[in-house]
Amino acid sequence: MGLSLFVVGIVGGFATARHFMQMDAIVTERFEGRLFRVPSKVMSAPTILYPGLDWKQVDLRGTLRRLGYRDSPSAQGLALGRTHWRPTRLTLHRRPFDHPSRAEPARVISLHLDGPVITSIRDAQTRREVGAVFLEPELVGSYYGPDHEQRELVKLEDVPPHLTGAILSVEDQRFMEHVGIDWKRIGGALLANLRAGGIAQGGSTLTQQLAKNFFLTPERKIWRKIQEATMAVIMEARYSKELILEAYLNEIYMGQRGGTAVHGVGEAAHFYFGRRTQDLAVHESALLAALIQSPNALSPHRQPDRAHKRRDLVLQLMREQGRISDGTYQRAISQPLRVAAVTPEPREGRYFLDALQRQLPDFYDGAILSAEGLQIYSTLDLRLQRAASAALVQELERLEKAHASLAPKGGEKLQGCLVALRPQTGEVLALVGGRSYAESQFDRCSQARRPAGSVFKPFVYIAALQSGELTLGDWLDDDALEVKVPGGTWKPRNFDRKFHGRVPVRTALEKSYNVAAARLGQRVGVDRIVKTARSLGIESPLPKVPSLAIGAADLSPLEVARAYATLANGGIRPRIRTFEDVVDPAGGTVERQAINFDRVLDAGTAYLATSLLEGVVDRGTAASLRRRGLEGAIAGKTGTSNDYNDAWFVGFTPELVVAVWVGFDTPRNLGLSSSTVALPVWSRFIKDITGGRIRGQFLRPAEVVELEIHPETGALALAGCPQRRTEFYVRGTEPAQTCPEWGRSPSRERDGSGFFDRFFDGLFGEP
Amino acid sequence: MRPLMTMVFALLLGITGCASARPVVQTPGGDMTALRVSEWSTRGDAQRRASTRMVLEGLDVSDYGREAEAVAGFERAIQVDPSNPLAYLAYARHEAFHGDPARALQFLDKAEATFGRSAEGMHVLPHLRGLRGVALKRLRRAGGTELVEAARREASVWTDGRLDAAELR
Repeated sequence: MGLSLFVVGIVGGFATARHFMQMDAIVTERFEGRLFRVPSKVMSAPTILYPGLDWKQVDLRGTLRRLGYRDSPSAQGLALGRTHWRPTRLTLHRRPFDHPSRAEPARVISLHLDGPVITSIRDAQTRREVGAVFLEPELVGSYYGPDHEQRELVKLEDVPPHLTGAILSVEDQRFMEHVGIDWKRIGGALLANLRAGGIAQGGSTLTQQLAKNFFLTPERKIWRKIQEATMAVIMEARYSKELILEAYLNEIYMGQRGGTAVHGVGEAAHFYFGRRTQDLAVHESALLAALIQSPNALSPHRQPDRAHKRRDLVLQLMREQGRISDGTYQRAISQPLRVAAVTPEPREGRYFLDALQRQLPDFYDGAILSAEGLQIYSTLDLRLQRAASAALVQELERLEKAHASLAPKGGEKLQGCLVALRPQTGEVLALVGGRSYAESQFDRCSQARRPAGSVFKPFVYIAALQSGELTLGDWLDDDALEVKVPGGTWKPRNFDRKFHGRVPVRTALEKSYNVAAARLGQRVGVDRIVKTARSLGIESPLPKVPSLAIGAADLSPLEVARAYATLANGGIRPRIRTFEDVVDPAGGTVERQAINFDRVLDAGTAYLATSLLEGVVDRGTAASLRRRGLEGAIAGKTGTSNDYNDAWFVGFTPELVVAVWVGFDTPRNLGLSSSTVALPVWSRFIKDITGGRIRGQFLRPAEVVELEIHPETGALALAGCPQRRTEFYVRGTEPAQTCPEWGRSPSRERDGSGFFDRFFDGLFGEP
Repeated sequence: MRPLMTMVFALLLGITGCASARPVVQTPGGDMTALRVSEWSTRGDAQRRASTRMVLEGLDVSDYGREAEAVAGFERAIQVDPSNPLAYLAYARHEAFHGDPARALQFLDKAEATFGRSAEGMHVLPHLRGLRGVALKRLRRAGGTELVEAARREASVWTDGRLDAAELR
């Protein structure tokens, strides 16, 4: 008997020791390795406020609301993250913003308003005028792991004592004394549960809660409770109270933001109050502590009364346990329950997030992005992004209703995409890759390649203009053309199935005549067309066939946007930029994407091409833009592929390039031209973001002169010429002929000298 | 007859102000009014003014050697007003002296194109030449020294062959 007991004791002891060692290994592996996986966040470009800005146009109220700013009844003693609106003034206590090179301190700012315009900005404390104010960037989205948890890690030293005090007072008041298990608390819980006839009170310490969250399932079984207690004891034996508390503060579940679980007090402080933990007030800390018991049942957004009641209980416990004074308690308990509005992560940015990830170096794969807690400062302008999303979705819905040919068939809906770039910097300001990211994650702007149709034609004209063999005063033939190709004869046709004979260059592009472009392509040669398209930024494979001249190439809307951006940027090709920098949790910049560009086209030719494309908007296939009330400098090109399967409009202003594509994923005849299908999306977007007022002009470079010519012959119009119109020429390509034909001299032939030189030579005679 | 016609024409140009359209205005001492960004801070529309103030702030921090902050300022200035030539010029100055000289040439090209025919364009020539010269010298390419020398002759701020942030400011 004694031997048996001895053996059982030995075996039991070994089993216990083995179990203990297993538990120890699990605990140390977690604590010695990565404690948390923190999804990387992508932030938008900041909103910049300055005198003269139309604050309504930039949706300042909405931006502040989404950033979690709350209105205050008075500007006196305005707390951080609060605003005070009056008809002629906005006072704002802007939050601090951490960034390695663009840090902004907390600041109280006073904006003077005159109707929709900010007239001046002052620092409310110094009264000094401020040139511009940056609001902190908005969250575009995060790269989640499979658990879909978001947290912002905090260090214990950054957590105010009243927050740890509030949590300890309600969750584990003897935390600093026990060894992982609180026998007093367990006894109290047992008694309470016996009295209640069920589980009414938990006896878990904060360390046990952490052990459960880190290592165990939530089931309430005795074996699991033993494991939890064992692990808690191991944690307490191996690690400091401070480390355990910090881990707890970062781990604890604090609520739900849509489909994302909010973990840790750092993320919760942002979610509930729009603040950092170090900026929390006592009553706010008490509310966070109150929520831990049951974040959803006590949600201050959905159950404000219950949350309020429990917050007050926490404050009471804090006072009873001597963690706050009576005075602090009285001030805190008198505060109403106020939380920031729930701002779910914008869904509009998901396509952009994917595009950004594709642009990051390969090192930043899904595993890194979902765990390293990086902050990625992107170029996305969320105001433009929202407008782009709304314009695309609403216009596609309208088109479906208005045109039977566009109605869904076999479950396949009409699709589209929109990408907006800043031409000078290549920054992606908005990107909507489809109607719904939830339904399809395929980005039709950067991943799809679709027949470009006529949006390709400008590259042919540019190739011809660049070589000097075409000027804007010339004429092109739009007559039947037959080109021998392998396997037959290529006979290009116009969309109206007519030939238009001899047409001015401008008319040929404005009306998008295929045959004129095909003939020009024959003159220029396919190699030079390809070279020009490549230099402008087209990277997709280009077939070396005659029909390339009229767009027989599959291109992505993003690369077409970049090529047009090169024109808007005076011949300087920007590199596509989706982010500015990537910052690690320690605050160091680990990746930077600088503004980068190259001159690939002379400024004169770029201007002539832009002028041609302005004609498309003023008189050509995109003239309906003007009828839609858009004024100012706009250039662009419609594009409809063969069989009407793809509708494009790529348009630009001096400060923005926007490409729109509309079609079906499985190519299908739209039965409509691009001006009916794609152009309305573009128009709606631009109107939304500019209010119809386009800023700036396309700058005419010094090498381009404006001359009067005879429209029929393209000759320089002098006094006595019966008809005239103005036209642009790169110096050295001005017309050699005059109208009427007088004073013609050999020096006026195209010899590279400028018009004025020749004019004055003519005036004063040759030596 | 020909000299008389020429004189008459020159006189006409002078009266109508066309003569002042020469790209470089040199004083007898070889010094011309070189552009300073602060003199342009109140010009243009709201976007331009805000952008130019950001350029000034960038030059201020550059003067203290905080180049990363300066670049951030110039980039913001471009974002607020992508047509502001002063932002490209300031960025080019940063790249020429502290960054990548090849990028300096790109930004100079952009600055030159954006200045275009504007009034600033006339006063910016010594800076464009000087900065191009500095960048070319750093790239060990021909012509750099000559351009810096030209800038020296044209504007006193270039006497030492450099353009400090405070001098451009």
